[in-house]
Amino acid sequence: MNNWERFLNIDRRWIYLLIAIVVIVPFFIRMGLPVVPTQEVRSVYDLVDSLGPDDAIFIGWDFDPGTEAENQPMGVAVLRHAFARHVPVFVTAYWPLAQGLAEMGLASVFDTRVPGNFVYVPWAEWESVRAAGYAGRDSLESAWEAAGNSLPEGARGWVFEGVDLANLGYLPYFSLVILGMGTSIANQYPTDAYGNNLHDMPILQAHKNLREVDLAVTLAGSTACMSWVVYGTSRVGLPVAFGVTAVMATDYFPYIQSGQIVGMMGGLRGAAEYEVLETEGGYTETTGKAYRGMDVQSLAHILIILLVILGNIAYFAGGFHKKTAMKNRR
Amino acid sequence: MKRNVPLMIAMLGGLIMMIQYFIPHQASQDVFDYYTEWAPLVGSFALILGVGSITRVHVHKIRAKAPNWPFSLAVLIPLYLIPLFAFFLPASIGGGTENPSLFDFMYSRVQIPIQATMFSMLAFYIASAAFRAFRAKSALATVLLVTAVIVMLAQVPIGDLLGRWLPDTGLWILRFPNLAAKRAIELGVGFGMLATCLKIIFGVERGWLGGAGE
Amino acid sequence: MLKHLELLLLVAALPFGTATAQTASPGDPGEAAAAVTVDSLAAIPTVEPEVAAPPEVGPATVLTIQDFPNDAGDHLILSFCESPNPECVLAYLVMRRTPGAPDSLGGQWAVVKNVPSGDPTEIVDGYDPDFLVEPGTQYEYRVDVLTLDGRQIEGPAVTPNFSPKGEIFHTEKLKVLIGCIIFIGLIFLYFKRAQMGHELYLRPIPGIDAIDEAIGRATEMGKPILYVPGLSSIEDVATIASLTILNRVAKKVAEYQTPLRVPNRDPIVYTVAEETVKQAYMEAGRPDSYEANSVFFVTDSQFAYVAAVNGLMTREKPATNFYLGMFWAESLLLAETGSLSGAIQIAGTDAITQLPFFITTCDYTLIGEELYAASAYLGREPKQVGGVKGQDACKGIVMALVTIGIVLSIVDIFTGGAADPSKSLLLKLQGLVDVTSLE
Repeated sequence: MNNWERFLNIDRRWIYLLIAIVVIVPFFIRMGLPVVPTQEVRSVYDLVDSLGPDDAIFIGWDFDPGTEAENQPMGVAVLRHAFARHVPVFVTAYWPLAQGLAEMGLASVFDTRVPGNFVYVPWAEWESVRAAGYAGRDSLESAWEAAGNSLPEGARGWVFEGVDLANLGYLPYFSLVILGMGTSIANQYPTDAYGNNLHDMPILQAHKNLREVDLAVTLAGSTACMSWVVYGTSRVGLPVAFGVTAVMATDYFPYIQSGQIVGMMGGLRGAAEYEVLETEGGYTETTGKAYRGMDVQSLAHILIILLVILGNIAYFAGGFHKKTAMKNRR
Repeated sequence: MKRNVPLMIAMLGGLIMMIQYFIPHQASQDVFDYYTEWAPLVGSFALILGVGSITRVHVHKIRAKAPNWPFSLAVLIPLYLIPLFAFFLPASIGGGTENPSLFDFMYSRVQIPIQATMFSMLAFYIASAAFRAFRAKSALATVLLVTAVIVMLAQVPIGDLLGRWLPDTGLWILRFPNLAAKRAIELGVGFGMLATCLKIIFGVERGWLGGAGE
Repeated sequence: MLKHLELLLLVAALPFGTATAQTASPGDPGEAAAAVTVDSLAAIPTVEPEVAAPPEVGPATVLTIQDFPNDAGDHLILSFCESPNPECVLAYLVMRRTPGAPDSLGGQWAVVKNVPSGDPTEIVDGYDPDFLVEPGTQYEYRVDVLTLDGRQIEGPAVTPNFSPKGEIFHTEKLKVLIGCIIFIGLIFLYFKRAQMGHELYLRPIPGIDAIDEAIGRATEMGKPILYVPGLSSIEDVATIASLTILNRVAKKVAEYQTPLRVPNRDPIVYTVAEETVKQAYMEAGRPDSYEANSVFFVTDSQFAYVAAVNGLMTREKPATNFYLGMFWAESLLLAETGSLSGAIQIAGTDAITQLPFFITTCDYTLIGEELYAASAYLGREPKQVGGVKGQDACKGIVMALVTIGIVLSIVDIFTGGAADPSKSLLLKLQGLVDVTSLE
């Protein structure tokens, strides 16, 4: 076995170690590389940016914990954007485990220790204000503040459950749930994830089915996202935007070109682009987790490219291209 | 009989759903609604069979003291303990699904990190596979390799630093050549699906019922 | 879209459904057409001024009511003529009732749609889940004006001379039907040709040819065979294709008496896979060799499944791994672990993004439609082979259409069709075959 062969048959654990190093190091040494938003992400951002309190969006937590690192920052970024513009948000979960992830996403936006976050007002908490008569979000906010509540320092705004947010939660066979929501959201979800009656909520009274919803952002690590296109876009004309893992992104370019989806956030890069757009738009002070992850991703990609180049150098220098296919199994 | 009845059901169901697509009438919609109501029910019962299967397999291993049998305990104990935490244990001693609870702890502190770890292993495996298998063996393989390098660089900010042409080229590759290739494969897949569905509906393909070659 | 909640609440606070409105019903059911036109602005019930004299606001009137085409009879299209004083209008309230029905069943006037002033005046009734349109029910409509100063001006009530009904054929799906007839017909034609004994050539696919060799290798080594039928559900055609291959593999495995492991992610797929393998053992004449635990359910969680299967690979070290069906991000995790364990690996999927991972880590990979054709290759039954040839014929038609499209787009450049859509030949062809707007 010559040196080249030895190099090509290197114990793969050395490669794993190199990857571990390039993944860990950027967390300590920030590079802050620039991220330029692509048209695919900008389309999603622009659509959310054009909406207001009279509109509504769905954010579908359609991924498993496995792809949390890629999908969760997308969800958090869109949530922040929607809340900042007072766009009512319905949150759903495609998988049982995704409901917990959705709640974690919401919790990170409602963490009042973080400046620029939102203050969550649960449905039961503003019952007294509601009892006096609900006449729109602005008057609700005024009445709530007149009742002695004030925004903590650094907080960006209130999120009233039932007006700005309805966390619908998980239901089995979610494709059929989307189909059913085309007719009536309340028929599918009589109560929200916390057992509150959805019929009583102003958000549902104003948006009774998917025809009255302006956008669904589906965050997925599998083809779950296609259910929104098949049962939402095709059946009731629901505009859908994708937030998918990087490996899946290439699959969905045809849908952008045909106009079946509004836009797409592909992998961590897509989430980072959304964060950059939000910061540019003045919705956040600083970019979030996805942007920080771009340093890691840059280095990892460079390392993989280097490994491919080195592998090819060894392959040709060792003269393996002249031999029959070398079985490289360990 | 045991095979003919399922085949008849498959044929009848397939034909009804095909015809139903073209009929917007209420009666046709009722058939579709009926189907969509039944599908989750059937699925739920199958899940019970699934849990029965995993229990049977692992109980068998434990009883037989098969190699690595303690792993079977690691499967069975959480399988039954976690629903117990969630639905039967009083909230005063950590029951329920709210935060904080034992269920929530198992979910957010065990299950999520474990699953995220599994997915993150992809990075290691991709690096290893790229090093071992990505060779410029032929002209076509070289084109593939160069394309891959451009797209990879285009996907990260470092590509922007090297020049705007790089991400633009990367996106062009994704938007056009990628799309063309994908459509070609998908057309083949689409017709493959059509032929397979027809074979199943009309009983030409019986392998999935264990009746191949008859 | 019912967006103005404040407006809705304001409406709720207003008294409506007055006696004046209920008596106004100029709709004439004697009209023959399925659309009713009301163009009279006369006989308008006006609202009396209360304190100061508010500006005079004319009412809105229903123009047409039509049955919605290609539906289940649960929608109606209504258009109305705006008030002659639009500057004083906040919104229009489309009101509906079922004449003669008790109040609880829609006998009373109710707002079915709130149309803010300036929005389109043609609406589809029946989308609101609280006010569904029932097929065969006769409805009565009127459009009230909600003025900026909070008055509600009633419009004349109109009863169409028809009730909504569902159609027997969706006319917009005619193109799909023609396409289906052509493509399905072609596949049947080739079924027939194959049955009649025509020799049909299938190009060799190395991945399929290697299946027998891979089973033989496991038998020689005395190690199990791992068969992963994909991670999707039974609705996925790739899963069904995989199960048909599983049947053939299981038969061979039964003949060779090699241990088989089939872990499943979907409970329904598990039950079908178990039945498939059991049957295969019976057909091979070795029902006694069937091991009850060879087909098992693991979990429906994607990465927990991967962990379990990877664990199985590292502990039992199967000699041959099959990954056939639908795969997502787990493809490389499975195949790389299999590669590490030294197994010979055959993969097949129609998930295009996962193909590169399988190609780099597996010995053979069935690409896209090859997965669907595998069953025909393995069995070589005439009808199965005919199905594969039928697919090819269908592809031929699409390829011809694509070629014509390319030629037309070039012609468009020279004839000015590229700049002017009305002259574009390509767009004309597209109009003939495009069905993307359908459900």
